[in-house]
Amino acid sequence: MASPLEGIRVLDLSWVMVGPVSGRYLADLGADVIKVESSRRIDPVRTLGPFKDGKMGPERSVSYHNLNAGKRCIALDMRKPQGRLLVLRLAEWADVAIESFTPGVLDELQLGYPQLSARNPRLIMASTAILGQTGPDAKGTSGVGTMGAAMSGATYQFGWPDRPPCGPFGPWTDGVAPRFIVASILAALHRRTRTGAGCYIDVAQAEAGVQFMMPSYYEFAANGKIPERRGVAGSRLRAPEGVYRCAGDDRWIAINASDSTHWEALRNIIGGTLDDSRFDTLIGRIRNRDALDDAISAWTRDQESDAAEATLQSVGIPVYIVSRGLDLNRDSDLNQVGHFKKFTDAVLGDAEIEGPRSAFDRTPLPETRRGPRIGEHTNQILENVLHLTKDEIAQLAEAGVLA
Amino acid sequence: MLSDLRVLEISAPETMQAGSVLAALGADVIALEPIAGAPGRRLEPFLDEIPGLERSLTWHALNRNKRGITLDIHSVDGRALLTELLAKFDVAFDAATNRVAPLDDLALPDKLVRIRIAPFAHAGPKSSYASSDLTTMAASGAPGVTGDPDRPPLFFPVPQAMMEAGSDAAIAALAGVAARDRDGLGQSGRISARISAMMSAMSQHLGPPSGNPETKRSSGTITFAGVQIPSIYECADGFVLISVAFGPVFGQMTQRLAKWAADENFLARSVAEISWPSFITDLQQKTVTPADLAVLIEGLKALTRSKTKAEFGASARKLGLLASPVFSMKDVAESAQYRERGLFTRVTVDGREIDVPSRFAQFSNFAIETRCPAPRLSEHTVEVLERDLGLSRVEIQALFAHGVI
Repeated sequence: MASPLEGIRVLDLSWVMVGPVSGRYLADLGADVIKVESSRRIDPVRTLGPFKDGKMGPERSVSYHNLNAGKRCIALDMRKPQGRLLVLRLAEWADVAIESFTPGVLDELQLGYPQLSARNPRLIMASTAILGQTGPDAKGTSGVGTMGAAMSGATYQFGWPDRPPCGPFGPWTDGVAPRFIVASILAALHRRTRTGAGCYIDVAQAEAGVQFMMPSYYEFAANGKIPERRGVAGSRLRAPEGVYRCAGDDRWIAINASDSTHWEALRNIIGGTLDDSRFDTLIGRIRNRDALDDAISAWTRDQESDAAEATLQSVGIPVYIVSRGLDLNRDSDLNQVGHFKKFTDAVLGDAEIEGPRSAFDRTPLPETRRGPRIGEHTNQILENVLHLTKDEIAQLAEAGVLA
Repeated sequence: MLSDLRVLEISAPETMQAGSVLAALGADVIALEPIAGAPGRRLEPFLDEIPGLERSLTWHALNRNKRGITLDIHSVDGRALLTELLAKFDVAFDAATNRVAPLDDLALPDKLVRIRIAPFAHAGPKSSYASSDLTTMAASGAPGVTGDPDRPPLFFPVPQAMMEAGSDAAIAALAGVAARDRDGLGQSGRISARISAMMSAMSQHLGPPSGNPETKRSSGTITFAGVQIPSIYECADGFVLISVAFGPVFGQMTQRLAKWAADENFLARSVAEISWPSFITDLQQKTVTPADLAVLIEGLKALTRSKTKAEFGASARKLGLLASPVFSMKDVAESAQYRERGLFTRVTVDGREIDVPSRFAQFSNFAIETRCPAPRLSEHTVEVLERDLGLSRVEIQALFAHGVI
C-alpha cells in the first residue's frame, strides 16, 4: 500500500530549520524530497549541535539528520548558470518547491516563482521568511525562530512579572511555521487535483507564531488589555494547577487536580495538611492558593518525580513529570511505539532521531531514514531524475557546478 | 482552496485548531458540541472578564469560519444522527480522553478521513493516562529546559498542546485527503498531542543518545567560555532580542552588530574588529580572550539601552542582524509590517468588531478571509439537520424536546 503522499515530488531549496522541517513533514508522509545543497555554502544547521559525541563536523550534526530525514540530496552551486539551469529542471520535475532564502535572493538568481512557474505552471511553491515576502519591512530581512517568537508576542509574555522576558525555548517559530506551510501546500495540492492550478504560498514565521498565541491576541483586541508575564504555570481559574518541586536536581511535576474528582483523589493520597477545610471547595482553594501549593509541595519535594507521576496517575489525576532530554529518551510512551528511530551511518556511527508525527491505518508511512550527506545522491538524481548522460555529468563536475 | 471539503469536528480543545486551519483554507467545517456546549467555550480569557458560553475569547479565536451544531452523541438518537451525518463529510476530527474517542466504536464511511487526537501514543503504555494541556506540555520536554533555574519551569501563557496537536491533525487530515484523491478511500489517522508538542522542545531528545550532556535551564542565556550571553536586552521602551552567534554564517551578523555598537561609541573599535565568525577557533588558539566577549556583551547592553524598540528594529533589519524588538500584543496590532501585508481580517466577537491576525499564509490565487465569526451555541443545528439529513421541523423539534439537540 502506498504512503499518503506517494508520487509527490518536492524540491527543497531551504535550509536551517523552518523549510527543512516542512520538507521533512512531506518526506515522512511519503513524498520524494530532493534537498539542494552546496558544499560551498552548507546548510548552517550542520554547524549547530548536538553533534555526535560532541565533536563538530558538517556530517556530525544530529539536528541536521532530525530535520532532513528521508530526503535525497544533490550538491550544486545555483549561482553558476549551469547550476541555475539544473534547479529550473528540477522545478519542472517537482510538484512542490520550498525555499527559505532572505526575500530578494531568489529574485536576484532569477529562480523565483515567476521563473519556476514559467517552467512548470502546476508547481506549488512555498516561500518562508521571518516577516514574509511583502510589507514594508520584509525585503532583505532574514531571521531565526527566536526573532519570530519575539515579534509574535510570545517572548514578551514568557517569563516572570518582576524580571525581563525569558522567551520560549529555542527558535520557537521554527517549529510552528512548518505546520502552516505544510497545511497550505497540501491544501494547494488538493485544489490542483481539481483545477490543475499551481500556487505561490508566502508564510511569515513571526505571523505563524501569532497563530499559536491567538487567544492572547484576542484578549488584547477585544478586552483592550495587554497580556503580561505571569510566570506561574497553570490557570488562575484552577486550583490546584501548577508545577511542584520534587526530590532531585531541578525535578518538577505538573499537576492539574482542580476538578473535584481529581482534587478528592489527590487529597486522599497526600492527606495531612490538604485535609484543611479551607481547601474543601474550589473557591476556598483559589482564595488559599499559596497555602494549597505549599501543602502540595511539602509532599512532592520528598517524592521522586517518576514515582509521584505513577502514584497520582494510578488514581486518574492529570500529572506528568516536567521532562527533559533524558526523560524523553527513556519514556515508555515514546519507546514502546518506536518514536525514536535508530540509524547507523559510516561518518556518524549510531544515532537516533524522531519518527513521524502522525500514523495512518491504511496508508503506511515510509521507514525513517537519516538525512543525506552533502551531495550524496547527486549522480543518482542527475541520471534518474534529470536523465543526464555520464558525459554531461562529468562536464558539470568539471565546471565546478556539482559542489 | 478546500471549498469542496466538508469537515465534522467533534469539538474538543485539541480539535479546534485542526478545524480552524481547514476552515481558513476554505473548507466547510462544522463543530459538533454537546448540548451544554463544547469544552472550548469554557476556556479563558473571557470577553470583559465576564464568563459565558458566548464569551470565551479562546473559543472565538479558534472557531472562526465554522458552523456549529449541538447533538448528544451519547444518546441512541444522537448516535444514529451522528452516523448519518458522517456519511455527508470528507474529514472528521475527534479527541480521546481516558482512551476513548467519540468515533471509536462507530462504523465509519469508507471515504471518510478521520483523525483521532489522543494525549499520548495510541498503543503505548500511557494511552490511558489522565491529561490536561499543562501536563501534556510538561511531557513535551520544553518547559523542563525553560526559565530561570531559581524558579519553577516556565510554560506558555496560552495552552499550547492543543495548538500543536490541532495543527498536526490538520496536516494529517490533508495527507489522508491526498491519499483519497488518488484512490477514493478514507481511513483513520492518529495524532499524539505529546509527540506534536515535542516540536517545541527542539532537539532535547537528540542530545543524550548522541553522547551529549542533557540541557539544563539557563534563563534564556548561554554561557560560553565563562561569559554569560543573554538573549534579551533592555531598551529605552521595553526589550529587544539579540542572538550573539559565531561561525561562518551567523558570525557575520555578530560582526555587523559589533561594528554598529562601535559606530555609536558603545564599544571599543578594537573589540568590534575582532573576527567574530572565527571567535571559537581563535579562542582555542588564544588570539582572543573571554574578556573580549564580555566587553562585547556590555557594549550591546549600552547600545540597546539607548534605542527604542522601533529604532532598534529598523537598524537590525537594515544591518541584517539576528536581532529584533520584543513585541507585546499591542505592538503586534500596531505593526505597519503586519498591517500593510494584510495579516488582519475583521471579525465580530459578541457584537464587537475587532481586527485579528488571521492570514497565516498569503497565496497567489487564494485569500484567507473571515467568512463568519465563531458559531453561537447550536446556531446551525436546524440548518444542518434540515439540509444534510432532510429532517422535518417536527422531527427537529422532537429532538429538542427530548434533549438530543
